[in-house]
Amino acid sequence: MKTAALASLALLTVTACASTQTGGDASSGVNDPFEGVNRNIYAFNEAVDKAAIEPVARGYRAAVPEPARDGVHNVLTNLRQPIVFTNSVLQGNANASGETLSRFLINSTIGVAGIFDVASTLGIEEHDEDFGQTLGVWGAEPGPFIVLPLLGPSSVRDTVGIATDRVFDPLTWTEFEDADLDDDIAVTRTVIGVIDTRSRLIEVIETLRSQPEPYVALRRNYLSQREAAVRNGQTEADPYKDLPDFDVYDDAVAQGTGVEDEQD
Amino acid sequence: MKFARHAVAALVLAAATSPVYADAKTESFVEENANEVLEALNDPTLSREERTELFSGYMEEFADFNAVSRFVIGRYANRFTPQELSRFQRAFRNYALAVYENELDAYRGEQVVVDRSIDRTANDSIVDTRIPRADGQEMNVRWRVLKRNGEYQVVDVALNVNGNLIWLAIEQQAQFLSLLDRTNGSADALIRKIEQMTREVRAGRR
Repeated sequence: MKTAALASLALLTVTACASTQTGGDASSGVNDPFEGVNRNIYAFNEAVDKAAIEPVARGYRAAVPEPARDGVHNVLTNLRQPIVFTNSVLQGNANASGETLSRFLINSTIGVAGIFDVASTLGIEEHDEDFGQTLGVWGAEPGPFIVLPLLGPSSVRDTVGIATDRVFDPLTWTEFEDADLDDDIAVTRTVIGVIDTRSRLIEVIETLRSQPEPYVALRRNYLSQREAAVRNGQTEADPYKDLPDFDVYDDAVAQGTGVEDEQD
Repeated sequence: MKFARHAVAALVLAAATSPVYADAKTESFVEENANEVLEALNDPTLSREERTELFSGYMEEFADFNAVSRFVIGRYANRFTPQELSRFQRAFRNYALAVYENELDAYRGEQVVVDRSIDRTANDSIVDTRIPRADGQEMNVRWRVLKRNGEYQVVDVALNVNGNLIWLAIEQQAQFLSLLDRTNGSADALIRKIEQMTREVRAGRR
């Protein structure tokens, strides 16, 4: 059971990383009161990733042909659909709920237990909702940025979301006659999930690591990307309202203006 | 009825003051220059060095590197000594050109399509464009253009990734300021870091 818990932590780490690919927002203030601790945990996560997760993910990408990797990814995505469905319902999004339910039914049957993404071929849109986003849709603020050991970047809101999504996952509650099988399924799913997700993030994490301050880049990207996810991929209503003034940085006028910046 | 009249009046007022009547010149400035830059990257008759030189020349005209390089170090622009500032600006210019040449390579030979533009003020506009990629995907790129002394220049570029606008200069500023704050404002530490990143970018070039 310990292994299962550890493995699920590892999966969540990579899942959290998966949502950090993009982002940055001029208007986002920095809410990081635990920065010192966060930076230490970030360094620890990086060490674990470099020592254990990244090498396996690179080997997986090199050794397994792409169609097989796609099949694995499709199965994992399909297993998440009950969580996506529940959150779509909680967000009052009838369209996304219907499409997610259709995707799950089609891909679980015609798609052979989710291996083939037949629903996408049929033009049924894929959605990605979690309880962190649901809380955001309900008006909850993200709260302070936190980096969780092994779990990666998060916020108070998203941490509550992660725990709640576990409750929404039918596999959490499924019991088999053979008690060990429960653990085996959970561990296998988690380990494969970690490898699959990390292998898809090789370039993204390389880019992040090449930044002058990867921690700051990660924090900004994570928080703004999560806000965009709450908006279901729509830009802000007035995306240009907080853009900074460049004129004060012009040579001709900058001297002696005592320029201060608004960014972190 | 009174409410309806007020609502109509408010709408008319909002429409009149709304900054949607962008200067068509700003749009054509972005379209022409961005296409020129992407074309420069796609010229098979040029050697790698010639291509870099041509690309850099276009970028110098297109973007205001002086303003951007001061912006990305924020308050430190006034704290660095003139020598430090000059060394930093040179290092940053080399870094930015290397990064953009690498990143824009995925779009070489493609045509930038202007969708629309918004004037924030008479001299500050955002031009919204699409650039198709060779792999069939499309990138939504927004250009912030300032007009100074009758000349247009780009000061920042935003990539729209799933509804998240990533303004590159603003992101750079956040990271540079963090690094400077953590090194007691050391220009040397920042310049060393930028030069190291430039070497890494060039090492990975096609």
